Amino acid sequence: MAQETEVREEEMQREYRNVGKPVTRIEGAGKVTGETIYADDMQLPRMLHAKVLGSPYAHARIKSIDGSAARQHPGVEAVFTPADLPEYKKNFSNRRGVIFPDEEVLFYGQPVAAVLASDPHVAEEALALIKVEYEALPPVVDPITAMEESSPLVRSPLGDVDRSEERGHVTVGVEQEEAEGKPSNIASQMNFKRGDVEAGFEQADVVVEHTWRSAVVHQSYIEPHSTVADYDASGELSVWTSTQAPFYIRDELSQTLGLPENKIRVTATEVGGGFGGKIYLQELMVAALAMAVRRPVKYIMSRKEDMLAATPAPQAVIDLKTSMTRDGKLTALKSRVVYDSGAFPGAPMLPGCLLVGGYYKCENLDIQGYEVLTNKVSVGALRAPGAHNVTFAIESHMDMMARELGLDPIEVRLKNAVEEGDPLPSGQPYPRIGLKQCLEAIAESEVWGRRNRERGTGNRGVGLAVGGWLGGLQPASAIVCLNSDGTINVTVGSADITGTNTSFAQITAEVLNVPLEMVNVTTGDTRTAPYAGMSAGSKTTYTVGRAVKLAAEDARQQMLEIAAKRFEAAPKELEMADGVVRLNGSDEKTLTFQRLGRLSTNFAAPFPAVVGRGAITTRKMAPGFTAQAAEVEVDTDTGEVTVLGFAVAQDAGFAINPLSVEGQMQGGASQGLGIALSEEMMYDSEGRLLNGNLLDYRMPTTRDLPPIEAIIVEVPSEEGPYGARIVGEPSIVAGAAAVGNAIADAIGVHLTDAPFTPERVLRALGKL
Amino acid sequence: MPKQLITLIVNGRRTEVAVEPRWTLLEMVREELRLSGSKEGCGTGDCGACSMIVDGRLVTSCLMLATQVDGRDVVTIEGLAKNGRLHPVQQAFIDTGGVQCGFCTPGMIMAAKSLLDRTPSPTLEEVREGLAGNLCRCTGYAKIYEAVMHAANAGK
Repeated sequence: MAQETEVREEEMQREYRNVGKPVTRIEGAGKVTGETIYADDMQLPRMLHAKVLGSPYAHARIKSIDGSAARQHPGVEAVFTPADLPEYKKNFSNRRGVIFPDEEVLFYGQPVAAVLASDPHVAEEALALIKVEYEALPPVVDPITAMEESSPLVRSPLGDVDRSEERGHVTVGVEQEEAEGKPSNIASQMNFKRGDVEAGFEQADVVVEHTWRSAVVHQSYIEPHSTVADYDASGELSVWTSTQAPFYIRDELSQTLGLPENKIRVTATEVGGGFGGKIYLQELMVAALAMAVRRPVKYIMSRKEDMLAATPAPQAVIDLKTSMTRDGKLTALKSRVVYDSGAFPGAPMLPGCLLVGGYYKCENLDIQGYEVLTNKVSVGALRAPGAHNVTFAIESHMDMMARELGLDPIEVRLKNAVEEGDPLPSGQPYPRIGLKQCLEAIAESEVWGRRNRERGTGNRGVGLAVGGWLGGLQPASAIVCLNSDGTINVTVGSADITGTNTSFAQITAEVLNVPLEMVNVTTGDTRTAPYAGMSAGSKTTYTVGRAVKLAAEDARQQMLEIAAKRFEAAPKELEMADGVVRLNGSDEKTLTFQRLGRLSTNFAAPFPAVVGRGAITTRKMAPGFTAQAAEVEVDTDTGEVTVLGFAVAQDAGFAINPLSVEGQMQGGASQGLGIALSEEMMYDSEGRLLNGNLLDYRMPTTRDLPPIEAIIVEVPSEEGPYGARIVGEPSIVAGAAAVGNAIADAIGVHLTDAPFTPERVLRALGKL
Repeated sequence: MPKQLITLIVNGRRTEVAVEPRWTLLEMVREELRLSGSKEGCGTGDCGACSMIVDGRLVTSCLMLATQVDGRDVVTIEGLAKNGRLHPVQQAFIDTGGVQCGFCTPGMIMAAKSLLDRTPSPTLEEVREGLAGNLCRCTGYAKIYEAVMHAANAGK
């Protein structure tokens, strides 16, 4: 029966004219010509530029700030110290809840004051004239040290913690325990238990126990954080900003600044890369300054500021103990998962704890998570936040256990892989998922095919790993309108960061059975667009795409009803194709979309305008899994690791636009390779960032990356449009583990600390 | 700050600009000439988003002062399409899916054009070498390699 359904679905797919076909981006021409407007390209009359002063200490008390000399600097329009800011509702436990700290500075580079001038050079010069007197306090830099009872405190105690942003990335019905009682640097913790781990270890034939460390990494979007804000005479605040989350910013600004949501217009300008890092950050400051001076204000972070004071992804320390029987059955998994949250709560401990025990069936689990504060910049999301850290641990273990038992790494994984109905560590059952299918697909990749051939030749090795992401859930809506010339407009509220608007055009064209060119899609601002959740948690096509499909179906129905009235027939007797509605089989009874458009828009037209509406909510996850294979060569003299080949198999459910799905898979995989090989924000013992630029912080270049092989797997989700499931994030998850396993295949040693720099490789080889 | 008058050719047109000595070429082009296609991703010559072609050579315009282009020939991304027709490299970036967020794209296309001007039929290795100064965070470069190879073939 299940097979029959699959066959039927396959046949249906073959009949689709728009979805499932590779389509180039609808906004591509603007991007290749440079015409597309990003936030920094905006120029408004009377606009001022903001420059921001950052703290030179990771932990300090501000004794005084004096902006008077800066105010005297020719060309300066305004200087803002904490005392000069307009009133707003402060929340010192939340990174975005405080513009400048009144007293306590919590990380190196934290903004403490700002200057406005119409010439950005003048504003920059004036920063040096602001006099700040600090009393340095002891910084706490290492998360494990921070957990000790004897550690100095990172900060004064937290108040209530708002975790709404985190839930946009991963939405699961689990609450974490906020810190209570004696002040400590542990912001929150959680525990998942199942069965009896000690008994599980005793049943096993092999037990592996290690500690896995991964570094702080930066999203490194090429466009730094950029925002323009204006507050007009009618009391309306406009914010143009490079964000994935316009409605979320509107809601936050409304609460913090005390403005009603209908007086705030947030426009998500074209996002020059976000990857989870562009949700809500500097918008409050820019809005507050614009309100204070009643002029437009632009703030563009320098690359250094972005690295010092945006929201990179956390380092983690994972203690893991796992065991397996001789025939490859996982019997127990025990883990302590520690995420370094930086100076404010917000680390992805929850998804980390879910995923470390979420890939494989295991009767005995004990997972303890900690979210620990340190005097470093507070962290945010980076594509499947927290997942790569734990995946590095569990997927290295799977390889180590398979190796000790002499078992095939794919067979071992297939034997234990979770399927529909299996519980997450929280007990929640998985919906339909495609982990096994991804493993089967990666086995067929060219890269994996070289595993046996290359074994023993030089220092080459091939390894693999799986990864997954659960995804976020939020309501979504869309509007589909018929224009008077018969073309179609779609309006959504979701920022297009991955090509989703192109997919929405495909969905609409599919429902209306027209060529793609007849449909255009706009992301509106928060005053004109219907609501959408943030473009995070890989959920945009899954949720907004469904709303678009419903809206298109609604528009279709309205058009059929108009035609039915004209033909004096029932709507079900009509067919719709290529911009024409016709009575079944008739050559005469036809109405073009253009005619329908005129009949519903002209003066004294007989029919109301065609406006299709779609609105959805969903509580059902559509997790995305991936399996990835790496081929590497290790230079045992220099320690350098070269990636010779890399393949990604990923379950997209149904790839509405295979071209952009491949692009997401390859792009995410390249970020996973950066985590594996070279990306690491390095801090000194005083908590100062040592490599705040794109030369010393090494993301992969063309020299580092061979063409990445993308293999799309399609196991349809239950609720996504045409079976689509989450796509954007899973591809980053498995890179470190896959490369680590390939290195072990090459030189016989697993590296426990990522990234695998030449120094760490040489240490692992005992050469340093 | 006192300004200095320079004369240069921008995208084929002779242009006079009054520039401050501290302005970079990128700043002059973006803020004064209002050609905002070239992007600033780092300001330190590491990302290549500001790439332009000066007297036939690829430069990172954030590291060059505006006064240095006095009397020289500058091509920016706005200079590639002719009469509304995209340059073959631009078209290839769209067709192969080499464009995602678009922020590195203008600089990447300038680097690709410069490479193809020098090496009309590059190997994959030559493409990887030729684009090594331009960072892209979205694509993993795979579809950018395809775009450049595709444009090279289209140019034959």
